[in-house]
Amino acid sequence: MKVLATYNIKGGVGKTATAVNLSHIAASQGNRVLVWDLDPQGAATFYFRVKPKVKGGGKAIVRGSLELGDAIKATDFDNLDLVPADFSYRHLDLWLDDAKKPLARIRRALRQVEDDYDYVFLDCPPSISLTSESVFRAADVLLVPTIPTTLSLRTYEQLDRFVEENPDLVKELKIFGFFSMVDRHKRLHRRFMTELRTAHPELLEVTIPNSTDIERMGVHREPIGSYGKGSRAARSYEALWSEIQTRL
Amino acid sequence: MCGGPAPFCPGGRAHDLLTWPLSEPITTSLSFVGKNVRYEVTAAGDFASVLAVLTDHLKLRVLSIETVERCWLDTAAATLEGADTMLEYRLPVAEGSPSLSWSAAGRMLAHDACVSATLPVGASDLPDSWSFERLTGLLGPDRLLASTKVNSQIALLASLDDEQKTTARVTLDSSQRPDGYLLPMVLEIFPLRGYETEAATLEQRVQEKIALFPSDLSVKDRVLNDTTSETSTGLRTSLSAASAWRDALQRLTETMTASFAGVLSGDDPKNLHDFRVAVRRTRTLLQDGAEVIDPESRDRFRHEYRWLGDITTPTRDADVLSFEFPKLAGAVSNSRDVDLTSFLDVLERHRANCHTEMVTELRSLRRAEFGIAWLEFLADDDAWTGCGELAEAPVVSVLTKRVERAHHQLIRNGKKISKKSPAISLHELRKEGKRLRYLLECFGPLYNQDAYHTVVEPLRELQNVLGEFQDTEVQATAVLHLAAKLVDGPTDTSYAAVEAVAERLAVRAVRARSQFAQVFGQFDTRKIERAFLQLTEPSSTSTKSKRKSKDTSSAKSARKKKR
Repeated sequence: MKVLATYNIKGGVGKTATAVNLSHIAASQGNRVLVWDLDPQGAATFYFRVKPKVKGGGKAIVRGSLELGDAIKATDFDNLDLVPADFSYRHLDLWLDDAKKPLARIRRALRQVEDDYDYVFLDCPPSISLTSESVFRAADVLLVPTIPTTLSLRTYEQLDRFVEENPDLVKELKIFGFFSMVDRHKRLHRRFMTELRTAHPELLEVTIPNSTDIERMGVHREPIGSYGKGSRAARSYEALWSEIQTRL
Repeated sequence: MCGGPAPFCPGGRAHDLLTWPLSEPITTSLSFVGKNVRYEVTAAGDFASVLAVLTDHLKLRVLSIETVERCWLDTAAATLEGADTMLEYRLPVAEGSPSLSWSAAGRMLAHDACVSATLPVGASDLPDSWSFERLTGLLGPDRLLASTKVNSQIALLASLDDEQKTTARVTLDSSQRPDGYLLPMVLEIFPLRGYETEAATLEQRVQEKIALFPSDLSVKDRVLNDTTSETSTGLRTSLSAASAWRDALQRLTETMTASFAGVLSGDDPKNLHDFRVAVRRTRTLLQDGAEVIDPESRDRFRHEYRWLGDITTPTRDADVLSFEFPKLAGAVSNSRDVDLTSFLDVLERHRANCHTEMVTELRSLRRAEFGIAWLEFLADDDAWTGCGELAEAPVVSVLTKRVERAHHQLIRNGKKISKKSPAISLHELRKEGKRLRYLLECFGPLYNQDAYHTVVEPLRELQNVLGEFQDTEVQATAVLHLAAKLVDGPTDTSYAAVEAVAERLAVRAVRARSQFAQVFGQFDTRKIERAFLQLTEPSSTSTKSKRKSKDTSSAKSARKKKR
């Protein structure tokens, strides 16, 4: 089982769209896939039309009184399941802080289902906190969507520094940054992309365009591959998944 | 006993089939984590009218409706079935490309368009996609063989919640064989993980709107296990009665052998089900094998097979109850939200005890000696030569008399049943129905096929009603008996829920009983009686008579128009 977390310190960069669309593509290829929506906003849960409720709340999962498997809901797509968000996740940091070995909690919960899935996507809330650190411990890969703008680049550098300063925390964690919401008509986007690629050659090559097709996910409440198969944005996500697989 | 290809021995090919041949196991469905429930639609009406009930009354959303020609593919060694998967080929009747679907227990493992318009015959013909790679590894160099093709109308529907999220999927499947025979319509409900309660409610609502009977057989099973298929058996009308009986008993022994390892492990209740059906059929053939089988052997093996059936009954009943109870509890509003853990524990302990006792008996010296003796008997040519007055008679002439006798007995005793008859009369009638049905099914290819299908389907429906009556009665008694074993007795939180389930079962038993007169009436008709008489006539005769009757009716309608 490979655990991929879509993560960025900054919000609104396309984390949820990435988790939802990549998980849908992976599942459609016959893989058994789980998405765990850790963001109390519950956007991934909304996209899959699942009610944002976990029996006993997120606390029960963190404490181990609720098996992760008991919180799982099937989505409308074959091979693709979801642990829905719960508004109580806003207290996740507090519960982790109270728990013994807080950084191992998410990893421990995932171990309960490791034989059941090929890929798990963790859709993380924006911030850098105890929850994020617990995710870093649990994940094999951080997928970091980054908009080619000043603030986004700044947060990417922040993450880079954090990883450098905490080698014990991240251990074998791979970080796959990629450009998201790219508008190639904007000179600034093009310039930032060139600069960052020079500084960070490890960035993935595929970019995700800024597209209304992706925004329409909120209207359709489905992954783009379900309603916009063949669109440029859908093809970009397929290419992104393909590149990720070759690097895994 | 397990050193060679002994009967019911987990050492032969059957054992190999139970081992998943890939290093990476394919687990059962996650999305469809609750087991699907399958029904035969017994309601009057065609595909469109049943579909209308599902969409108009039950508000299910149609996801797709396909009209396709389809078949199932597997190797001669049944590699795919052994791995609990199936490969289905579909060709749209109107337009579109053929496709292949590889699935396991309702979970799609791979689905893609076919490489060419012709049926794939090996791994190299499979779609070149990542998801089919695992299948390629599983098949190796073996050739794929296709089942009989059927024409099917398949509707896929979804039950939605208020967020328009699917909580259960429903398929309605109406298939027709190339000879025009319409297979029973099959309705399946697939609960989605995390939505089991919603699926149980849907199941209850479907049952209220459409006449259904639980069924173990999928359309694929019906096509593959079609005993009337020319290729499925070596039975020929030219055989002597002894040869045909021996052939049929050998096939049933193969079934028992193939399922025996699974019966011992208890991992999949289907093995025990298959094993028991083969045992029951064997008993019928022994019972109706007077003057065909050596009398001494017949008496001995009838006795032993009765014992074999008896020692497996408690486990089968417990298996059914373990599977059915949570669904029943979910469907009864009084017990839906009750914590049933303590009763489920009792149920599981009971099932485990039954299984342990059964395995002890199945591993006993008695069973081993009986198994060896049975194999030796089947293999011994001398035991089948001149062993009875009718042994060398043409099988068809013997069957004619045996089927006639079983049919008349069923009709005679069925007519005696009234509203006041005790339950035991219906149970006895069910046994007589089974006897007749097995006599028909075990020798399916030897009968006139038009007549065969005319009689078998209403007989199955009659059996379904009698089965529902007996099973629900037995289950109602069993759950109350087991509830008495709860540590806290009637004060246990689950006790009231068990009582509610027992009441529900009792209601179902009453409903089944009230349906008896109707289904028996549908079986006891002139048309079916005529078909029984035509069973051993050559097929052409019946076709001619059908054509004649068609000509007559055309002439009649022409005369009517003229007038």
